[in-house]
Formats: sequence, structure tokens, C-alpha cells
Amino acid sequence: MNIEKVFDRTYYWIDDNARRTSLALARKLSRRNFLSRLGMFIAGAASFPLLPVARSFAQDSVAEVGDPQSCDYWRYCAMSGTLCSCCGGSYSSCPPGSEASPITWVGTCTNPVDGRAYLMSYNDCCGKAVCARCGCHNTEGDKPVYFNSNSSTVLWCFGTENTSYHCTVSLVLGVSD
Amino acid sequence: MRFISRIALSLTLFAPLAFGQIPPEEIYVQTMPERGENWFIGTTGSGGYIFDATTGEMQGMLSLSRYTPAVTHYWPRREFYAAESYLSRGVYGDRTDIVAVYDYENLSPIAEIEIPNHIARLQVRSHLGLLNNGRHLAVLNMNPGHSVTIVDVEDRVFVYEASTPGCAVLMPIAENDFMQVCGDGTVQLIQLDLSGFEENRVRSDVFFNVIEDAVFDRVASSDDGWWLVTHRGVIFHVSTDDDEIIVEDGWKPHLEGEEAWQPGGRNEIITAHHETGLIYVAMHEGAIDTHHEPGTEIWVIDSNTQRRVGRIPMDPPANSIMVTQEAEPKLLVADAQGGSHVYDALSFIKERSIRIPDSTHFEDF
Repeated sequence: MNIEKVFDRTYYWIDDNARRTSLALARKLSRRNFLSRLGMFIAGAASFPLLPVARSFAQDSVAEVGDPQSCDYWRYCAMSGTLCSCCGGSYSSCPPGSEASPITWVGTCTNPVDGRAYLMSYNDCCGKAVCARCGCHNTEGDKPVYFNSNSSTVLWCFGTENTSYHCTVSLVLGVSD
Repeated sequence: MRFISRIALSLTLFAPLAFGQIPPEEIYVQTMPERGENWFIGTTGSGGYIFDATTGEMQGMLSLSRYTPAVTHYWPRREFYAAESYLSRGVYGDRTDIVAVYDYENLSPIAEIEIPNHIARLQVRSHLGLLNNGRHLAVLNMNPGHSVTIVDVEDRVFVYEASTPGCAVLMPIAENDFMQVCGDGTVQLIQLDLSGFEENRVRSDVFFNVIEDAVFDRVASSDDGWWLVTHRGVIFHVSTDDDEIIVEDGWKPHLEGEEAWQPGGRNEIITAHHETGLIYVAMHEGAIDTHHEPGTEIWVIDSNTQRRVGRIPMDPPANSIMVTQEAEPKLLVADAQGGSHVYDALSFIKERSIRIPDSTHFEDF
């Protein structure tokens, strides 16, 4: 077998697979569905580095004081919802089986340990029934729903597979001052 | 002894015959009586409780989804409309958002229209608005960007989804238009054509600053427009003249030394009686950013003179209020401990308390 035949067969294999995959997709999905998913993937991939949750990975740890199961805990100054720290999670982790929403609202809270202001991201954990323990409603810097990046009353289960609200965590994004 | 035995035997034999002469009761289902004055709907997480505020008696119930923002009605068709959101397995699974239509007679669903799956799932009255032509229903969406779904509830069809970035709240105005409050400090007017599609869109000048003193996302209708109030208590009136938005100068009803008093509550904190021009606002004494603190008083303000005419103390404090539009109106109050109360809206005297479990807000009916 010469090298040209190898190339021909390889091209044929690629073409044939592409054709069969396209046909299978065309049978399963409408054109609108395909375009919508492709658009969502492109938009999601492009915006992921901009999301607060992505930037938060770059932060150092923060000195903590207080009870994370209390609404008075410093991280919760602009929190509205129920505390994941009372529901099998922590102030920064969702309880088992729930799904973290990548889209959030933000606030600015002062850490009593160092007196510095920190930019907070409040992420909802979704996909399970409401964990009704430890309700908390603080409104420092809270804005109405038409200014929703700073609105605590919105249910922020966006971009998740299931949109039911379970509880809320609070992540430090960085120093604000 | 024998005589007594005969009497006892007779009673044993004939007593069942005597009871048997009463016809057995049969279960039946009531239909709604004609609507009375001062009827209202108490919206909760499990449905809309219909009450007569004059008697305090419940009349019936609308079963609504737990994510329903509000319910409204159109009396000429004797129908209710609600935006609803369902997950196929309760807390997970496929999501379906609909506008449900309920008849008045049985309070039963008679039609549903599927709409885009991103209604704003918050219990807020102004997230749903039937335009004044009685045909087009506007539903607020949040995904998390804002948009508005238009449904033709007469023909039972979804018409259009208008993207409205940075603007929320639905304030029906004129025949087929609605206004919105926007984060850049303006009001937006969207005018629809006869089919319900957007025909024109205009913005007002900037009249508030969302960082310094935001306008609440809770509003109250007036006889020719809408009342807005800011977190510090400045009241604005907005209306339209064709495609022009008219924003009147803001004013405060506070007297000297009352600067710490500001509006607040978890739900509907302002309401107005159209005919008299009286505005009711839940107020509390507090610092900045306490705008969700329930009202320890309700201030009654005469919009004609821009002066306060009454202060109604609230204990427990008020989270949500609404005044009915009758000639002898009632002021309905949902307090911070879950109780609901009826006041005479003109004498400010409390008339009764009503049990409506977890009532969030009220709809006039």
C-alpha cells in the first residue's frame, strides 16, 4: 500500500465519520436546537474566564473569625437565603448532591480580623429542595432586581441543570479596598 | 320489670326507624358567588386565597405553582391569569413555564400557554401585568438578563419576547403600553402594536441614582400613572402622553427631624387609592440599606397636598400592604410574623385579622 492510499483511506474515514455523525445529529436534533446549543457553548466558553467563580480560584486564603452557621458571620453581610454551612456544606461548598450555580450576585464585606473590605460572591447551590435551616437576610449594598448584579432577592440558580434553590455559599473574590 | 323491658325493647326496635326518616346528606361542590366589594386575593407559596375583606370569610382558592410571581384578573371575561413555573420532578427535571388561565366560577384551570422557560421566579406583583386592553399579558423574565414575555390571553397564544436589559418591573399604561424601571436611573416605555409586538421604545431622562438612592422595585398604580418611591423615601409620579414619559419632581412627606424614617419591607411596601389620591407606605426608622426592614408604621400621604395625613402603628411590623379600590376601601397588611390584617383605609382603624398562611402579597379583585 503506498502512502497516497493511506492518505485516501484516512480522508475517507474522516469524511465518512463526519457524514454519519452529521446525519445522526440531524435525525436527533432540530437545526434551532443545534444552533442554540452551539451558541450557548461558544458564549459560555468565552465568558468563563470573566465569571467571579473563575477569578476566585486565584485568591489567597482569608483569616476567619466567627461562626459560619450564624447570620452575623462577616461573609454574610449581603447574603439572602439559607446558609449551606447549616445544610451539609460550608460557607464555600455546596452540600452533597447539589449543583453550584456559576452565576452570582456580589457584595462587599469587612473582615473583622484584618479590617479590610473583601469583594464577595454569593453562589446559590441548586437542584434540591430548599434547606430551610438557618435563614439569613442581610442587605448591605443590596439593590433592586433591575440592578440584579447586586440584588440578593433573586434566585440565582442560572446556568445549572436544575433550577430549584437549595442554599447559598459566600466566596471571597479578592480584596476590595 | 316486664313493663320496663317492653319499653326498652320498643326503643331498640323503633329508634333506628325514626333516624332513618332523615334523608342522608350528599356531598356537593360549590361554585363562586357573585363577586362582592373589597374582595381580594392573598398570594402565598401554595396558591391564591380569595377573601371578602368586609366579612373576613374565605371564598375559594386558586392553586398556583410555588414559583408564581403574581396573579391578575380580567373581569369582563371572568378569568384569572397567572405565570407559573414547574419542574417535572418537583425539585429537579424538565422545567416548563406557562401562563395559566383560570375561570371565575370554579377557580379551575381552563387553558395554559407555554412561554419561554425563564420567568423571574419571585413573588412580586409587578412581575406580571395585564395591559389595559385586557388582551396582552406581560410577564417579567430573568435569565439572569431581563426580558419580557407577551402573551395574548384572549387568543391563548405566546406572542413575543422583548429583551429589556437593565430594566425590570411592569407598569401597564395607556391602552397597550407598559413602563419599566431601569438601572441607569430612567423609566423605559414600551409600546405594543395591535398584535402585541413591540412598536416603539423610549427612555425618560435620568431622575434617580441607583447607587445613591435607588427607586424600589415595588410600585403602586395611580389613576393616571404610577407612584415610585426611593429607599430614602422620595416619591415620584410617572405617566405618559402617547410616546412621551412624564416624570414629575420628587418630594418627601417627612417633617423636620424625621430623616431616619424610610420605606421598607420584604414585599409590597407602597400602595395607593386612585380616587382619593391617598398613598400608603410601610415606614421604619433605620440606617441606609435597611430597606427590607418591615414597617413599624404605615404612613398615609395625601398626594394632592404632598402631606402626611396619618401614621398607623404596626405591631408586628408590616411586610406587605395593599389598599382596595372601593369607595370604602380596606387596607390589607401582611405582617412580619405571618399574620394578615384588615384596616379601614380611611379611618385607619383595625377591623380584623385573617389567617392566610405565609401570605406574601395581595391582589385587588
